[in-house]
Amino acid sequence: MSSFALAWRNLVRQKRRSFLMIAVVTFGFAAFALAGGFIAQSFEGLREGTIKSVGDLQIVDRRAVGKAEEATLEYGLPDARRARALAGADPDVAAVLPRIDFVGLMTTGAKSVPFLGVGVDPGPEAAATLVPELIVSGKYLSGDGGDGVVLGTGLAAALNVKPGDRVTMMATTPDGSLNALDGIVTGLADVRIKELNDRYVAAGVGLVSRLLQSGDTVSKLVVFLKPGANEDRAAERLAKAMAAGGYPIVVRHWRELATFYEQVKLLYIGIFGFVGAVLVVIVILSAAIVMTMAVTERTREIGTLRAIGTRPSGIRTMFLAEGVVIALAGCVAGTVLALVVRAALNASGIMLPPPPGATHGMPINVKLYPLAYGAGILAMVLTMAIASYFPARRAARLPIVEALAHV
Amino acid sequence: MTAATGGPLVEARGLSRSYRLGESVVPAVRDVSLSIAPGEFVALRGPSGSGKTTLLNLLGLLDRPDEGTVRVEGRDGEALTEEERSDLRRDRFGFVFQTFNLIPVLSAEENVAYPMALAGASAARRQERARELLAAVGLSVKLAVRPDLLSGGQRQRVAIARALANAPSIVFADEPTANLDSHTAEEILDLMRRLNAERGVAFLFATHDALVVSRARRVVTLHDGAIASDAAS
Repeated sequence: MSSFALAWRNLVRQKRRSFLMIAVVTFGFAAFALAGGFIAQSFEGLREGTIKSVGDLQIVDRRAVGKAEEATLEYGLPDARRARALAGADPDVAAVLPRIDFVGLMTTGAKSVPFLGVGVDPGPEAAATLVPELIVSGKYLSGDGGDGVVLGTGLAAALNVKPGDRVTMMATTPDGSLNALDGIVTGLADVRIKELNDRYVAAGVGLVSRLLQSGDTVSKLVVFLKPGANEDRAAERLAKAMAAGGYPIVVRHWRELATFYEQVKLLYIGIFGFVGAVLVVIVILSAAIVMTMAVTERTREIGTLRAIGTRPSGIRTMFLAEGVVIALAGCVAGTVLALVVRAALNASGIMLPPPPGATHGMPINVKLYPLAYGAGILAMVLTMAIASYFPARRAARLPIVEALAHV
Repeated sequence: MTAATGGPLVEARGLSRSYRLGESVVPAVRDVSLSIAPGEFVALRGPSGSGKTTLLNLLGLLDRPDEGTVRVEGRDGEALTEEERSDLRRDRFGFVFQTFNLIPVLSAEENVAYPMALAGASAARRQERARELLAAVGLSVKLAVRPDLLSGGQRQRVAIARALANAPSIVFADEPTANLDSHTAEEILDLMRRLNAERGVAFLFATHDALVVSRARRVVTLHDGAIASDAAS
């Protein structure tokens, strides 16, 4: 009879206690798996959202890295059409989007409000990003954008404008002079972050170039890769191709640009780590108490086993096996519980409150994340082994004669 | 008395063992020298507190003496590690306890097979041997029964079968009849006598039961932890 078989018999013998201990592991494991799935889902959503916003890669002038422009488009990419064609020739590139970042003042005559603007190529932008989905009134830019502008809902409210209204944009050109152009509001967007909603403007690169008098210069090229493309290798090829084309650029990965993503990820990992540590401590303490009780109750049995020739290591293994069997049984039950709770949560439509700075909550969504389940099993087995180790060691060290005389 | 043939099976020289009881030290065994030969059937008798169980534990390598040595088939028990002593008990000794001490989660057959599993015997060999031993103690029909469903006498028979599992040289029995009625005690003693005669395994009993003493071929009497007499009966 193996240590595990004997362990199982002993657990069945102590039904109530074993059930309680397995229940602790079950809930601990389920919490671990569900939290892991929720966090994985959040990371994935955040990652997708970030990439939809900033692209997989961005091509920018080398001087733009870590420096703020003193003049409009000071570090822009000139001859953007050629640059775009060069980047678009890469086999892994799905789309190359020009963007012009600019700031200015928007006015209706009665009121003026500062804005943060972005010049885009509306067709590819609509296809590759989430912006069109954020339109809450009117429509997104079409064609080359024409004179159309999309405003954040907060900015529109501040200016008291609606789709179809005319606005005037004022901005500083690269040579430092002030220029103004009229635009027509085509739609209002809720970009989900309140501060940005209050300042957001999008317009076609043609209109923005005329406003800034910047010719064919853009701030950056946003690159979207084909599904399954290797980001690093694509970045390397693009850097070489652009350098060969005479562009002094760098290719930046989305992670470098998405500091928010990394911060949120670190925050989640911290929370998950803390919750995990609390769970582990609870399981260790519960298991240590249960295993100590088992050793105390079975002291005479331990003495008998030692007397008839079980080595001290055999006694240790027996109690460690009990801990591991509890962990495995708890993980099996925990997996079932986690799957049931996950299905219930995902079907419930419960909305999570919006994160700080955001305007919308999101429905709770727990992903089936096998890594969390695997890590949970490993964590529970290790935890139970650690919790069982000291009672098991005590059992192995009991003097045989004292153990046999135990009442 | 020494072994009838060859050297002694178990040989104690100058054994002493004391226990601390609060502030005082109580000597349980004092300077005892004793030899058990192969195939002997020996009773260790004496009143309560005379040191019978302590001496049995020392001879069975369940405890270590404060002074003196125990040699088992020529090997110095005190020079062995705990693991080696465990292996020696498993392979050469059998134990029968007053309270039977069967493993409650194992059936009668599994209890008997357990020491063989420790020794690495195959499953087929364990099953064959366990069934043979349980048949020898008259429990062929109780193979799958757990200890809590057996009578006291049946439990002690299973314990005896377990003690014989690895074909030991000697069985140490501490008050094996104390928890049995007189009729069952007689049956158990008959069984042990028969096994002693048929299999040549030595038995050493710690007892104050006159019935056990009357069946022994040699009686060692302890008084205050020392041997008062050692005689064939």
